[in-house]
Order: sequence, then structure tokens, then C-alpha cells
Amino acid sequence: MNIANQQNEACLRLPENLTVRAIVPVREDMLKFIDAHEAATIELSDDVQVDISFIQIIEAARAYAGTAGKHITLAQPASGALLETLRRSGFLEGMSDDDAKFWLHQGKIQ
Amino acid sequence: MSFPDPIAVFRTEAAELLEQIEAGLLDLNVNLGDKDQVDAVFRGLHTLKGSGAMFGFEALAAFTHHCETAFDRVRKGEVPATHALVTAVLEAKDHMRALVETPAGDHEAMSEALLANLRRAVDGSGDPAAAPAFAGPSQTLFKLRFSLPQNAMANGTNPLPLLDELRDLGTCRIVADRSSIPALDELVPTDLHIAWDVELLTSEPRSAIDDVFIFVMDDMELSVEEIAVAAQAPVVAAPARPATPAVAVETIASAPVTAAAAPASGDGKSAKANENVRVPAERLDELMDRVGELVIAQSRLSQLAGGSGDLTLRAVSEDVERLSGELRDTMMVLRMVPVTHLFSRFRRLVHDLANETGKRIELVTEGETTEVDKSVIERLADPLVHLVRNSCDHGLETADERLASGKTEAGHIHLSARQQAGEVIITIKDDGRGINKDRVRAKAEASGLIAANASLTDQELYQLIFQPGFSTASEVTNLSGRGVGMDVVKRTIDALRGTINVVSRPGEGSEISLAIPLTLAIIDGLLVRVGNGRYVIPLSAVEECLELSVEEDMRSRGRSFISLRDSLVPFLRLRDLFRTGTKPDQFQKVVVISTGSERVGLVVDQIIGDHQTVIKGMSKLHHDVATFSGATILGDGDVALILDVGHLVAEGQQQEAHLRAAG
Repeated sequence: MNIANQQNEACLRLPENLTVRAIVPVREDMLKFIDAHEAATIELSDDVQVDISFIQIIEAARAYAGTAGKHITLAQPASGALLETLRRSGFLEGMSDDDAKFWLHQGKIQ
Repeated sequence: MSFPDPIAVFRTEAAELLEQIEAGLLDLNVNLGDKDQVDAVFRGLHTLKGSGAMFGFEALAAFTHHCETAFDRVRKGEVPATHALVTAVLEAKDHMRALVETPAGDHEAMSEALLANLRRAVDGSGDPAAAPAFAGPSQTLFKLRFSLPQNAMANGTNPLPLLDELRDLGTCRIVADRSSIPALDELVPTDLHIAWDVELLTSEPRSAIDDVFIFVMDDMELSVEEIAVAAQAPVVAAPARPATPAVAVETIASAPVTAAAAPASGDGKSAKANENVRVPAERLDELMDRVGELVIAQSRLSQLAGGSGDLTLRAVSEDVERLSGELRDTMMVLRMVPVTHLFSRFRRLVHDLANETGKRIELVTEGETTEVDKSVIERLADPLVHLVRNSCDHGLETADERLASGKTEAGHIHLSARQQAGEVIITIKDDGRGINKDRVRAKAEASGLIAANASLTDQELYQLIFQPGFSTASEVTNLSGRGVGMDVVKRTIDALRGTINVVSRPGEGSEISLAIPLTLAIIDGLLVRVGNGRYVIPLSAVEECLELSVEEDMRSRGRSFISLRDSLVPFLRLRDLFRTGTKPDQFQKVVVISTGSERVGLVVDQIIGDHQTVIKGMSKLHHDVATFSGATILGDGDVALILDVGHLVAEGQQQEAHLRAAG
């Protein structure tokens, strides 16, 4: 997991494997990262493997950041495997504007 | 916070699933019309496939998918269940185990071969994955809400394939309900907190929805509302982000339907399941070691308190003694596992042996709930496999031979377990031809194990088959000689402090009984003194204690028998056996011990009392000392050797035989 800091921007680059098999350390790292920064950007690999545990952890991170008055975003709108997992898991259906903004960046499916 | 390794959890779950699948297949093989077994096998395969995909065992998931599909077709009545199909899936099951254990291995060729075999078994040359085409004229709108158990993901259940299967049933709108997801700092990332609301327009019956959840039914929460709609209702595909439900339906009637899936509160099954905790075996071993050390420390404390006039210390010591005893008993129960798992593998073994030998063999098991220490179970597996193989291969006759001798066509292997006075007795019995005593004797004489015309009891003769070097080479087939010989069986049972008893009747069959201590870790012992040394006799073997006065000792000298309720029992003077060089105490004691029906008295100088004995193995240097089975540390730090009851009883019996032979 790579962490890059440039001026006020903090970017957390997550590993390729973001499935339940590897999700435990991801939670720990995300928690530390959000605690350490006011605004965090989550960057995913092009070849990312995701399942529903990752979507759940991002939703949990959004809730945590919201409560703590912090802000997290995705570096890129959901696409590829992540978008497919969002679709299969029923997250695209009935998405609020906020959700669409977070996951799809202004609600546009890439 | 520590989390279980998901892969290790999956492998454990997969092993259990494969056992269930195998048991289901073997039951189905007995009764091919048993729909419950077809469903059970299908559920097992379905779960294994889903879990495999969830944990990245893609090859396993892909391979299992074909078997699942084949069983789905059986379930739907499209193809019949046949012995060929059962055999094909049994072989495929073995391959699934390999795919679980070594997912990175080169399995492609084997997978192809097994799937071709499966295809032949299902429909000659058809594709087992061919999906049936169902089309109903009328459609129904189902409104579902479901959530999976919180530990579903950790246990290998992937919700996504379930959602995909729902979509396959018709036009579907699925909305994830994320309202129960906790904030990141409170989230256990392998737990699942998402629920789903689904609207499904389908021509499939309600049972098709139940089938989607068939392997998680017991633990999930599911509510289904069924709304009948017109037969020609227009169906509109769900857009990506509809503001309102996109399924256009004309509601005729609405009636809530009670979910077939029992919710957690339904019968308490779910709550009960959650009461079980899976603990790695090595943690139990570590705990057992700690309990052993505690028992030794408690023994020292008791000794110190006993020699002190401090009443408070004595009271504390007695409390600690009671508590450590209870802890030991609790620990023992924790380590006990039923022999079911051990026996279940023999169903498959006998099935395969029947195929290989062309014999009809029926296995009957009894006493599967008998519990034995887990380490004993593990070590019993190989000897039992060999004994069962031997019975199938050498013991049972062919169908023609059996019919000719007036027996049933099918041979029977009877495998049973029961507890008896601190031991588990495992019996392997067959109704075959029995052991040919003349042949055993001839081979034993030819190989120099016994002298020509030596006088031996039947039991002594049968015990020769466990001697190293004893081989019935002319009877060896491809089923025998797979690395574990009868001498290895004997060595393993000896190492378990067990005994083997053989009974055989010509033409009627053989029965081999293994008597094994229930535990290998801690035993109740009788601490005795012989000369200046202290020894432990396993209490489970002690029948009674008698006094042997010097006068009686003198009278019996040269005979070494005591009269015990009208029967003569041989005795061994441990002082002589251990060459202590000390004079006997004025009032020696005889501890009568037994293994089954055979008894022997052990003459000791003093009986000190009962002793919780933590068994420590003998060093390699003392490995071949047959008189002792282990050692223990006493409260004062001294070492006491544990007597090997089986060996001493055999020695006593030998002494008796010699004296009788001498007249």
C-alpha cells in the first residue's frame, strides 16, 4: 500500500487485491490514513480485484469520515471490475446523488 | 482485534463440505431414488462452488460448477441418478480436494478427464452444464428482502452469485440497503452488514427463489411477498438508476408469504449454531500442555501442604487440587471427538474396494458417537484402513464363493466402537472365510517365527500375523502392500498403549478388536513403591489390591500364583523384575491388573495412593524398553515410570503358560 502526500493532498493507493481474502489490513490502513488526514483520496490499481467486502469498507469509511468531519474521494470514478461489482451488488440501483457523485463522479458511468 | 485467516477457514469448511458430499453420494448410491440425498449433494456442491469463487479458488469453482449442474439436472428430473453418476462425482470430489489443497497445481488434464467421465455418466455425450429451458405462460412479481448471516463472507458465502442467480430468474431490480454498515472504526471487514430489497418478475415458481438460497436458508433472514400478475404483463428491463421500480406489473392480488427460510428466531437453530466455536487443534494441544504442567505444580503444592502444619495452606491446596482436577476433566472433554469422522472415510474405502475387487460388500457401522481423544483418532486412521482393506481383500470371498458356501451374495464388514472402562474398543468384523490357521502356522514356521510343532493357543497363533516379516505373499493383491503392513498396525496400537485381540472361525469370519486408551495425555494412576523407586500403574487397569505377607510370599515362591476367589492369578514380583536389590517390605501388596479377561498380580512394596499422571514420552534411548509406556514427574520433582500394563499382563500369562506346561 503506497501513501503519497503532496502539499494538502493525501492519496492512499490500495493494493490490487481488495477481496475478503485481503480486506483486513486494508481496513487498518484506511483507518490510520483517514485519522491522519483531513482529506483523503483513494486510488485503485488498474487491475484491481474487488468484491462486496471492498464496497462495504468504502461505505464504512465514508460514514466514518463524515462523522469525523473529514472528506474522502475516489481518485477515479468507478470503472471496470469495481463498477461491475457495484452493479452486481445492487449499489447502482437507487443510488442517491451523493452516492453517484462519490462512486461515479457526477453520476456518469464511465 | 484478531481475525481468522479466511483461506484457512475456507479450507476447513471445504474439507467438511467434501465429507458431507461424499456421505451424501454414498447414501444416494444405496438408494438412487432418495431425493433428499440428491438435494443434499447439490447443496454441498453449490456451496463449495460459491465459497471457492469467493476465496479465489477459481479452478475449483469452475470444476465444481459442472458437477453441481449435473446434480441440478438430476434434481429437476431431467436425468436419472445412476451408480455411474455417483461414481463419477465421487471421483470428481477427490479432484476437488486436490483443487482445494493445491490450487496452483497442474490439474487441467485431470479436470478434463473427469468432466468427460461426468458427461458420459450424465447423458452419454451431452453437456452436463446444458441449462434446461423453462418457460411459463404467467408471471409473478415477488418482493423479497433478505440479509445473510453476519459471518457469511468469512465463511465463504459470496452474495454476488446469489444476486446473479436471482437475475437469471427473470426481470429483476436489486437495491442494496447499506443502512446497517457501521463506521470504519467499528467495522469487522469480513462481516457482512448489507441487506437487499429485490423485485423480481418471473415465470418461475416460488421454489426457484428458495433454490437460490438453498445453502444459506438455515441462517439467513428472508421475507418474500408474492404478487400475482397478468399472464401477458409487459416486462421492462431495469435501467441502471431508476428513480422508481421499473417493473411494470398489474397487480391482481397480494398476499404476504411466510418465508420458507427459518429466521434466527424460528427454531433456535441459528442461535445454536452460533454457540459453536471452531478452535485450531494446536491451541487445544497447547492448552493441554498447560493443564499438564498445572497438574504437576498442583501435585507439588499438595506435597508441600501435606508436610506443613499450616491449615490455611492445606485448605488452599485442596481447593487447587479440586479445581485442577475439574479443569483436567473439562479439558479432556474438549479434546474428545466422535469417531464418526473416522468411520465415515471407510464408507468410501469399502465402496472403492468393492469396485476394485468386484465383490459385493456392505459396510455396517455402529457406535459412531463414541468419543475418543482427538490425537488417538488421528493415529488410528491408518491401522484401521489396513485392517478394513485386509478384511475386504483377504477375508471376504467372491460372490460366487459365498453363494456356493450358502452365504449371502454380499459380504459384510462390521465396524463398531464402544467405550469400556477407560478404553475405546474398535472392532472390525467380517463374515468371510476366516483366518486359515494352518496357513498362518506354516508361514510362521517357514519364516522362523516359531519352532516346528510349537504349542500355541489360537490367540498366540493369530498374533503372529502382526509380526514383522510375516507375509502371506501368495495372497497379496494390488489392494494390499500399500505401505502399512500388519506389523505397522501392531506398532501403532502398541504406541497408543492399546492391545489387539483376534477371533476367527473358519468359514464364518474374523473379528479384530482394538482396545485403546481414551486419552494419551493425562491418566489417573496408582502410585506404588518398589524398592526405592516409585512407579505409576494406570488406574483403569487396576482391579483390586491385596496384602501379601512374608509367609504367603514364602509359601508361593516357586509358583508365583495367588488364589483369588477360586481362580489362580499369576503374579510378578516387580522387585525381581526391576532388580532393585532391596529386601521386600514386611507387608507387600499385590496390585491385580487386567486387560480384558487376562489378569496378573504385581507385587509391590507399598501402595502410595492415586496420582493424576501427566504422561511424558520416553526418550529415544528407552524407546524399546517394553515394561514402561512412559514417565511422569511427581510433586517433589522426581520421575516415576509408568508401567505398560499390556506387556506385564502378557508376561504374566507367559509365566502361567510355562508353569502349566511344566506341570
